[in-house]
Amino acid sequence: MPEPRSNGDVRIGVYVCYCGGNISDVVDCEQVAAALRTLPNVVVARTDMSMCSDAGQALIETDILEHGINRVVVGACAPSLHERTFRNTIARAGLDAGLNPYLYHHVGLREQVSWVHQGNPQKATEKAIRLMMAGIAKARMLEPLEPTVLDAEQHALVIGGGVAGLRAAWDIARRGIRVTLIEKSPFLGGHMAQLETTFPAGEDARAALGDLIDQVVAHPLVTVHTRAELTGVSGYVGNFQAQITQQSRGVSQGFTHFAEAAEVCPVEVPDEFDYGMTTRKAIYRAYPGAYPDLPAIDWAHCDACGKCLSVNGTGLDLENKPATFDLNVGAFVVATGFRPYEPRRGEYGYDEHPEVITLPQMIRLLALAGDGPDLLWNGRTVKNVALIHCVGSREIPGVHEPQPDGQVNDYCSRVCCTATLHLATELRERYPHLNIFDIHEDIRTYGRGHEDIYTEAAANRVGFLRFHGDERPDVLPAPDGDSSPLLVRVKDYLTWGEELDVPADLVVLATGILPSPVDDIISLLKISAGTDRFLLEVHPKLQPVETAVPGVVLAGTAQGPMNIQEASAAASAAAAKVAVLLGQGSVKLEPFVARVNHALCDGSGECVAVCAYEDAITLQTVSDNGQTAQKAVVTPANCVGCGVCVSACPNHAIDVQGWTLAQYDAMLDALAAPLPVLESAT
Amino acid sequence: MTVKNVHVDVLVVGGGIAGMQSALDLADQGYRVALVEKEPSIGGKMIMLSKVFPTLDCCSCITTPKMSAVAHHDNIELLTYCDVQAIGDRPGGGFVIDVVQKPRYVDIDTCTGCRQCEYVCPIDLPSQFDRELGAVRAIRVPFSTAVPQKAFLDIDNCILCGKCQQACPVEAIDFAQQPETFTVEAGAIILATGFELTPAGAKAEYGAGELLNVVDALVMERLLAPTGPYGHVLRPSDGKEPDSIAYVQCAGSRDKTLGVEYCSRVCCMYAIKQAMLLSGALPLADITIYYMDIRTFGKGHEQFYQNAKAMGIEFVKGKVARITEDEDKNPVVRVELIEDGSKVVERAHDLVVLSVGMLPGYNPKSLYGVPVADDGFAAIPAPNIRPSVTPKPGIFVTGAAAGPMDIVDSIVLAGAAAAEAAAYLEEVRTPSPQRAAIEEAVHA
Repeated sequence: MPEPRSNGDVRIGVYVCYCGGNISDVVDCEQVAAALRTLPNVVVARTDMSMCSDAGQALIETDILEHGINRVVVGACAPSLHERTFRNTIARAGLDAGLNPYLYHHVGLREQVSWVHQGNPQKATEKAIRLMMAGIAKARMLEPLEPTVLDAEQHALVIGGGVAGLRAAWDIARRGIRVTLIEKSPFLGGHMAQLETTFPAGEDARAALGDLIDQVVAHPLVTVHTRAELTGVSGYVGNFQAQITQQSRGVSQGFTHFAEAAEVCPVEVPDEFDYGMTTRKAIYRAYPGAYPDLPAIDWAHCDACGKCLSVNGTGLDLENKPATFDLNVGAFVVATGFRPYEPRRGEYGYDEHPEVITLPQMIRLLALAGDGPDLLWNGRTVKNVALIHCVGSREIPGVHEPQPDGQVNDYCSRVCCTATLHLATELRERYPHLNIFDIHEDIRTYGRGHEDIYTEAAANRVGFLRFHGDERPDVLPAPDGDSSPLLVRVKDYLTWGEELDVPADLVVLATGILPSPVDDIISLLKISAGTDRFLLEVHPKLQPVETAVPGVVLAGTAQGPMNIQEASAAASAAAAKVAVLLGQGSVKLEPFVARVNHALCDGSGECVAVCAYEDAITLQTVSDNGQTAQKAVVTPANCVGCGVCVSACPNHAIDVQGWTLAQYDAMLDALAAPLPVLESAT
Repeated sequence: MTVKNVHVDVLVVGGGIAGMQSALDLADQGYRVALVEKEPSIGGKMIMLSKVFPTLDCCSCITTPKMSAVAHHDNIELLTYCDVQAIGDRPGGGFVIDVVQKPRYVDIDTCTGCRQCEYVCPIDLPSQFDRELGAVRAIRVPFSTAVPQKAFLDIDNCILCGKCQQACPVEAIDFAQQPETFTVEAGAIILATGFELTPAGAKAEYGAGELLNVVDALVMERLLAPTGPYGHVLRPSDGKEPDSIAYVQCAGSRDKTLGVEYCSRVCCMYAIKQAMLLSGALPLADITIYYMDIRTFGKGHEQFYQNAKAMGIEFVKGKVARITEDEDKNPVVRVELIEDGSKVVERAHDLVVLSVGMLPGYNPKSLYGVPVADDGFAAIPAPNIRPSVTPKPGIFVTGAAAGPMDIVDSIVLAGAAAAEAAAYLEEVRTPSPQRAAIEEAVHA
């Protein structure tokens, strides 16, 4: 039987979550609920093992329907996790009781209390009560709010033309949403193009990639811009303005004399496609078959000598004329990828001994090596190869030297173990007489089909040696008279910690994965990177490809080390999120934006002066009862609710909806108020 | 319940974390989804866990809101306690699926989940949810956070005493319920049929499931869970708090004798996570992890491993050869200490946890026409570029049905499967010239 209630009565339901022990192991939740029950307007105060479960949410729904609860306060995990969950709960119950989802306040008892006060349960419980009291004080003053609903531009911008960006673009387009893909370099394909075969099945990497590129560029909803970068962003989810700057290609459609032009070009630079192991000219293509099917001029190295023009000038223009253009897009997919770790000079002899190369270089070396019976390097026949794992990965702070920027890569790069053994298998097949030594810390062939590659390598006479992370091997010149120029000295824990010297004609460093340097994109999109410098998701399980900025999602290795399969999956998942956002044609924006009380506003414009967001608050001529005056006006879509205008206003005429000054005052008073007399917990 | 025929865009098979996520990612886009689950509640294996790596979030905090979102989503038809019986092609594309609603013997529309039936039921049965450490009644709500919060009756163990019927305040109990068949029409199917664990008795060398104080890791999850059977970590033989706990890694993975040559991918991290939780629950206990390789490859995982080492958890390289027990029922582990002169030693612990591996939960060949690979998981012809696409057009796969994977990877792949299914539906609706080429390329 519902209790009688009058309109305007504030009837608060208070719920304290155990969080499956996360809170209740430290905070006496029963005592908290008992204390809160005594406060004015609190109609019920309950606890539950997990409030966010269906059963927990049902408690709230029932209280709304049966006890006429019209404000809800939940003390649980951080609001970023489940504030929205509970807003949905009360909105659902509101179908009958008419409850606005913003008549809700979330108190973080886990991050702010139990996780940080583990040693002091009594004080923690008191703090929990105080925070909840403040929440209740705010709840008394909550008003219904309505989100802003805006048309969404059904157009996504994908940044990055590697496998993840391509995959995301393809999925978004197939879903019926327009996509523009921009790639900084002149060619699509990213690092996958530099592989010959992929694990686990030995598939032809460029063929698989080429099929994907064909699908993407042929799709009528996809537009691709190479040599294009994001240089400006404004707007908000559903309606961003992206400024894109594109360098000239220098070569236009119809140019057919690439081979001749490259022949006469006098500029020769290291070819990044082969990690500097070969050279290319200033007019170049990344690889045969690269998309687009047109060479490009390398502006950093072309000296505009004009020799190429003499071959057949049509289609060449040796002046770079960067152009900018704007796009209106609803969402961004950040697929900016990775770069391989580049060892320091002297790290495992890299850059000191020519026989020390990286795994990506070795893959290119094998691609270039031809079909001869022997592997040649530096004019010598290679007889002994040493593969060293975890270079630039799993580094230990205090043990390993930081990189120039102070970073110590303490993470696992995830792909190098399988990639190294995939390489070992290829080496064994092509050069049966080679001695192959695999020097590792752990072998992490975790993925489907990967363990088979390890087993096969072991069966194929690859010698395994195991070091400890804080006792990494040394690469040293071999003594005179040795047949190999280098030796790898390793304390091998598979032979009881004996120090062994492994002869090496070639040392291959399995270098790890670093994020591409994308500080510009981070600041343009206002997203964040983690301590490992990879882009940060909101939560690995709740929102694994979303950033904290609505409308910006992550795809692939920009987020962390992944193999191709994992990058494809992440990109498709990102595409699904874009489809959720834009597929319906409109987006909802939270109502936590500034609101001006025009009765108090004197048009001083101080708010406009301090606002950091374009067109969020402006002075406009407003007429009221025949009087016209300059008043501040908020455009909700452009306002982020930061509150800077609130503090600047000399007349206290501005509030942020849902977080008003009066609400803050009430919360502060509640925090300073004496604790309710604690009843003993039941 | 009223049985009806269901028309949806996508049928998702399996209500674990992967299936729920695929269903949500499709339903949020506006597609109609039916989610079919063979058990009386959704939640899968994940809902049984305590806390999850690497964030140590309480597992319920991640799972239960998703369960709730599935149950309340306007675009999702939730079909629990149902089996898929037959699949046919729908003329013009898509599938017609025969589904059997198994009798709950409780009217799901009337039942309020009040549990009065459960309180009066005289039959105690080992709780599968608590890995047989606790008891449940023959009629019960499956577990405290079950979705739907509705009772069902395990008729095989019921003695038809009728007490539940008398106790039920809403007359929801119906002993005469029969299985009912209905059809689901769907344009595409996502298989999220999950995994099973290595059976306890699989390995004779590890006691073949006969040693009381040798448990599997899911038992330990239940012991550590706040909703667990004891509220404490106690060993099974005598209820003692263990002072010395050992983890045996790769107990069911990377093991040719079991026919499981692959790495199960999650066991290193769950063992380290449990070791950390045990350090909190039993601060004085010694915890040892016997391993071949530590494979903490995911985002934040290596750092998690290093933290565990810093907390004093002992990592010993060596594959455990045999487990026996001494006169006090303490498990005795025989292992070669590879990093300590390869000495072969026997060490007694109070409790041994087997880090068991993941086996395919279901073979989709006969019903769905989706072949499996040598490892028993669904075949995926183009794993790198299209990791959720099976050889059968219109049928996609996600989660551990596509091979062992952790929760994060399952959730991500679930999004990918949703994207593939959505694209498939759109392309069927608006055929493009590329489509034929795609199908040809992928299914060749």
